[in-house]
Amino acid sequence: MNFKHKYVFLLPGLIVLIGILIFPIIFTVRLSLSGWNSFNPGLDFIGLKNYIRLFTDDPRFWQSFFRLSFLAITTVFLQYIIGFALAHMVWKDIKFKRFFRVLFLIPMMTTPVIMTVIWRTFFHESLGPLNDFLSIFGLQPPWLSSPGLAKVSIIVVEVWQWTSFMFLLMLAGLLSLPKEPFLAAAVDGASPFKKFIYVTFPLMAPISIGAIIIRLIEASKIMDTVFVLTSGGPGTSTETSSFFIFIKGLREFQMGYAATASFTYLIIMIISLTVIVKVLTKVLMRE
Amino acid sequence: MSLMLNHISFKPTEEYHLNDISLRFESGKMYTILGRTLSGKTTLLKTIAGLQTPDSGSINFDDTDFLSIPVWKRNVAMVYQQFINYPHLNVRDNIAFPLKQRKMDENLIESEVKEAMEKVGLIGFESRKIQELSGGQQQRVALARSLAKKAKILLLDEPLVNLDYKLREGLREEFKKLFNVSDESNSILIYASTDPLEAMQLNGNIIVIDEGKILQSGTAKDVFENPATAKVAEITNDPAMNINKCLIQDNSLIMNDSVQIQIPDQLKSIPNGKYLVGIRATDIYLDDQGFAFDVEISEISGSETFLHLRNNNLKCVATIEEVKTYNTNEVVKINFDKSKIYLFEESGELQHSPYQ
Repeated sequence: MNFKHKYVFLLPGLIVLIGILIFPIIFTVRLSLSGWNSFNPGLDFIGLKNYIRLFTDDPRFWQSFFRLSFLAITTVFLQYIIGFALAHMVWKDIKFKRFFRVLFLIPMMTTPVIMTVIWRTFFHESLGPLNDFLSIFGLQPPWLSSPGLAKVSIIVVEVWQWTSFMFLLMLAGLLSLPKEPFLAAAVDGASPFKKFIYVTFPLMAPISIGAIIIRLIEASKIMDTVFVLTSGGPGTSTETSSFFIFIKGLREFQMGYAATASFTYLIIMIISLTVIVKVLTKVLMRE
Repeated sequence: MSLMLNHISFKPTEEYHLNDISLRFESGKMYTILGRTLSGKTTLLKTIAGLQTPDSGSINFDDTDFLSIPVWKRNVAMVYQQFINYPHLNVRDNIAFPLKQRKMDENLIESEVKEAMEKVGLIGFESRKIQELSGGQQQRVALARSLAKKAKILLLDEPLVNLDYKLREGLREEFKKLFNVSDESNSILIYASTDPLEAMQLNGNIIVIDEGKILQSGTAKDVFENPATAKVAEITNDPAMNINKCLIQDNSLIMNDSVQIQIPDQLKSIPNGKYLVGIRATDIYLDDQGFAFDVEISEISGSETFLHLRNNNLKCVATIEEVKTYNTNEVVKINFDKSKIYLFEESGELQHSPYQ
């Protein structure tokens, strides 16, 4: 194209892109090669020292990473199952269909942080209504102070908060399906259960993959729930990667090291999500 | 084995979709349900398949109460007007779908699928995706799927209507062959159609349906020669039989002031009074000594020309056995074969047929 000023017109968009996306990434990479901390603020250059420390001498980061993987996969799996089931339920003509459709969306309309505060009260060991109820059966589970149950609590809150998002995507998917294959399947001898297995599920595969990936990306950033509900505790038993990076960077002011962890985390996420998409496509679409 | 429909009615809204339908289908035979669009053909087929539950009446197949059996256990196959297949499966898996539901042996499925694909001429397309096929091929897949199932009842709901002319003619020929083959398997074949020509060509038993009611059923020849009512005569002819009011008085048949004829011999015994006269478009011909009519529309169809004619309040369609263009409002002189006149009572019942 013989148009000399085209870059001038591209500039506003380009500046925004550079300012909010490219510069932060490059700066993080540069920061990860520095020893910036509260005693020594500044962009000095210490080579790969931070990376060596992260990969050889920091089991806490890797523990938090595997914990995150566990939490993300468990919650998204549960959200998918429950969300799909609820969507399938209100997809058919049932009574109060509209009421249920709105009801299932309510969790998504609430503010996660505030809801988590409410959940924290709910789970409170001596004052919470849940243990008040369970005490009838002589049970007083330490929801937030035992390493195992604290993870369960986080899963419960995450599933409650985000199932409605999954529900919304799956319902939209179901409503967009063609009706004809279901007619054919019924006549071809498929019972309602088989119809789901052989027709509904495969037809929903592309939408399922999209929904799962969106939720996995979101879930791998779990931060507010952990922060409000357990603050990573007891000990480090509910600490996730983003919470770990937050502690290192903004509590202990090891900026360089936090940048190293961030960048490493980003690379791992990009690779693993690509692999997950491939695997899901293979499993769900049978290609 | 036979399929019995007893007093089936279906009235989802103010109007009857099916109105007190009683029919008996014998296995090994072929039936054509002939009716205009919205006459209830599809609803009837869906009711037999089980996709729709009638408000009243019963369906029995071999002494079993069909209505108490859910769709997926009825052993019915259906081909729809739209090309319905499974978009997520390839051609082979589409055809194998009903067999897989029955948990058949893999090797058996393989051979059955191959047989069905040979019948409809789809060999070589096994691993194609449905979206990669043409309309005709998609309908072949749907047909192969219904054939592979070897169902006791095969329902075909205007399977050719969405195909182009050439393909329709070709597939119809194949249908006739396929149906003859299926006859040996003793299944009941029910074919819904809006096209009288198609119904006659398939040459089975014809059931004429209109506004959810059965008007007449019988062999193709019988329905064509002796339509029970004026409505049946309209539905079973293309172009529709010309039905007009007439008066029989003093040995003449009066259609309007200018179109009057001496009453033909075979109608002499009919008492004077008001009737409906029916004349097939093909029984009208050009005749210089005939009656003068104005041309309203002329349309050329293949090697024939359809003339829509008018004489005052008298309207008719004539099939002229040549290709010729006529101008609108051009005056043509026509006559009609007086030995082929039908007479209906004013209420519509057949009074006289030339084939009686």
